[in-house]
Formats: sequence, structure tokens, C-alpha cells
Amino acid sequence: MNADNPEREKTGRMSPTDNELMEDVRDGRVEKLAVLFERYQAMLYNFFLRLTGNRAASEDLVQEVFMRVLKYRAGYLNEGRFNVWLFQIARNAHVDHLRKQKTTLPIDEQFAEPPSREPLPEAAYEADREAELVRRALDRLPVQKREILVLFRFQNLKLREIAELLGCRVGTVKAQVHRALKDLSRIYLELQGGRVS
Amino acid sequence: MNCEKIQEKFADYLTGDLDEGGRDDVREHILSCAPCREDLENLTVVWAKLGVLPEEQPGGGLRHRFYAMLEEYKDGLEARARTAARPAGILAGWREWFSFRRPAFAASFSAFILLFGLGAGWLLNGGRAGGERYAGLSRQVQDMRQQVALSLLSQPSATERIQGIGYSAAVENPNDKTLAALFDALDNDPNPNVRLAAVDALYLFRNRPGVRESLVNSLAVQTYPLVQVALIDFLVEVREARAAEALKQLIERNELTPEVKKRAEQGLKQIV
Repeated sequence: MNADNPEREKTGRMSPTDNELMEDVRDGRVEKLAVLFERYQAMLYNFFLRLTGNRAASEDLVQEVFMRVLKYRAGYLNEGRFNVWLFQIARNAHVDHLRKQKTTLPIDEQFAEPPSREPLPEAAYEADREAELVRRALDRLPVQKREILVLFRFQNLKLREIAELLGCRVGTVKAQVHRALKDLSRIYLELQGGRVS
Repeated sequence: MNCEKIQEKFADYLTGDLDEGGRDDVREHILSCAPCREDLENLTVVWAKLGVLPEEQPGGGLRHRFYAMLEEYKDGLEARARTAARPAGILAGWREWFSFRRPAFAASFSAFILLFGLGAGWLLNGGRAGGERYAGLSRQVQDMRQQVALSLLSQPSATERIQGIGYSAAVENPNDKTLAALFDALDNDPNPNVRLAAVDALYLFRNRPGVRESLVNSLAVQTYPLVQVALIDFLVEVREARAAEALKQLIERNELTPEVKKRAEQGLKQIV
């Protein structure tokens, strides 16, 4: 978010960077986590919402991420970018969430469609038909492709940050984004063609 | 440049991060390569479609749960620090158990004293009129609640301070000292949950002189969104005209979250 905070020097504002706040949290001033929570809660919530399609589960996952931040705060290194570190924790929390689901749900229910997307009311569905179609197309992508697209399109992470997060080369991320978008485009067209309107 | 090399540039092309030279390469290639042209057109369409997905806001419950979790964690850290600083041993353990800082012990002790007082009163003043006896006892209970409230409000643990506010809220007509402790908690307590509880408790005493004025003044010092919203709701509820100026100043503050700003603007309309 403001890890580098180039504005700070220009304007002289005293708003601390994410990295400075996290260093404070690491060193025992844990109340500073509240500022990071206010900066990132909506971003993380939307990240999880687009992966799970479930609002309640997404809120639980955001809470889980901040619990893990406290748990692992001693291991935070200031050389790393805070947002990459945070999304690493978020990805792990999501993997654990899927693992838990696996024990309770048959496999096709987990991946074919998100299990608990709240149905939209009829009026809202009509008004927001296109968004719903995009959402359904996104939900039908395999989870790894969906994740990379969500990170790239909505979380404002740069390709090099995603590469750092996934532990691969930037070229690999570019190829994966390309494939995921192609698949999404194909699914979207299929859904659009199959829609009775 | 071959198709594979060009397609590697598509992600940066879509985000606008491709430099001029790269964009020229892509444009030049798709002029002569129909499959890549079609590919890029489809990607551009789906990229734009993704933009229609709305950004959602999590419910207020998430914020509440986060702050409760953070507070619990801080209490745990402080408790560990205290334990580390204190000499260990059986005696220390017993002393801890019988400490007034333990809410369970404080409550049991208070209940014991109350029962003892009731019993003694019944034995000694058996002949007096029931109404008079009840009024006296009621006063004693009120005084006792205020003392417990003041004691708990000065504790280092936020959970105990919140209990203290609960005790003061149960007083029918708190004295000035108890009200002052509530004002102090509202403006100066480091924990937002304690400050929130103070707003709720002060709502009960909204007709006491000075209470509304203190809440108006508090708007200028609060920085935590939920407390700001609670204060705005309070002042709108009691239709406090003096709040208008404070709300205007609040709206001007740069760091205000959009939700609080919206609520303050609505509130201002409702008051004036």
C-alpha cells in the first residue's frame, strides 16, 4: 500500500509506512496493528470474497490473517515488502480453509461452483447481471488461476511482487496471467451464450 | 518477434505498464498476425469486464472482532510481562487469587459484604419501617457499585475497565466522581472498546448537566471510527444543537474514514 511511501518526503506528512508499523508490531507495540488492519481489511476481504464467494468465510479469513500476523510477528523482516508478506499469510490461510472444506465437502462441490455464494435478490440480479456473469466465470476458473488473476487484477500487486509471492520467475507469472485470462474469456463467452435472456 | 514473445507482453499491455517500444512491438505484430490480434482483443474485453465487479466492504462485526482479539492479545502480553517480573511461588499464587484485580474475587467479595450488610441490617433494625430500610440499603448498594466501578476503572486490564463501566452504568444517579471517571475513560482510555462502552454508559446519564457537553467536546479528540460513529449517533439521538459546530469540524478532518464522514454529514442534517 504505502510500503515505499514516496509521498512522505515530498509532503512531510508523518503517516508511517506499512513497514514501519509492522516493525513496531514486531517489537512489541502491537497496538500499531490497528492501523494496518484499517489499511488492509477491505483489500483482504475482497481478495477472499473473490476466491471463496462467501462473505462470512471471507470475514473469518481476514480475522485469521491478523491473528497469524501477531503469531508470526517476530519473524517479520524489514527487507521484505509488507504487502507481499501479508498476502503470503493470506494465501496460506486460504489453503488451510480449502483443506478444511475438503474434509467436509465432496470435491466437485468445492471447485465446480463456490459452495456458499449468497444468491442475489431478483432485482439486484437484473440490475447487476453483467457483474454476476463475470463473477460466475471467475468462480469456474480453477483456484490457482483464479488466485493469480485476483492478485493481478484487483489487489494491485505488480508482476514482480506476485512472482516473489509465488516463488517463481516474472516470465512464469506473465504466462500464467495470460492463460488465466484466456480461460476466463472462454468461460465468459460460454456462459453468455448459454444464458437465457 | 515471434508470437510467444509478443504474448508475454500482454499482461503489461493490459495494465498500461508496457513502455512505448513494447507497445509498438505489440501493435506491429498484431497487424500481421490474426490469431494474436484476436487473442489480445478477447483479453482486453475480459480485462475490462473484470472491472465491473464491485468492491465490497466487510461488515462492522469484523472490526469489532479484530479489536477484541488485539486487546486480548495485548492483555496476554502484559500478563506475561507481570508474571515474569514477579517472584514465583505458592504464596505469590495465593496472593494473586485473593487479589482485587481478579474480577471474580472482587465480585465475590462485594457480594459477601452486601449479604453481610443485609443480614446485619435485618438483625439490628428489625423494628424499623420496611420502606426506610429499603431506601437505606439501596443507597448503600449504589455507593458500593460506584466504589467498585472506580476501582475497576483504574485497572491496567481493559476487560476490567469495561466491567467498571458496566458497574457505573448500573448506578441510578452516579456522583460527580463517577461521571468524571467515565468522561476520563471516554477521552483518554487507550482502548477503543473501553471508550465505546463509556459512550453507551453516558447515554444513560444524558440528562445530567455537563454530559452532553463533554460528548460534544470528545468528538474533537476521538480518532477511532467506531467511537466517532457512536458519538455522532448519541448526539443525533438527543438532538444536541451544540454538536453542529463540532460535527462540521470533524467533517473537515483529513484522516476521517469515508463511512464516518458520511455519518457525520447525515447527522449534521438531522441536528440542524
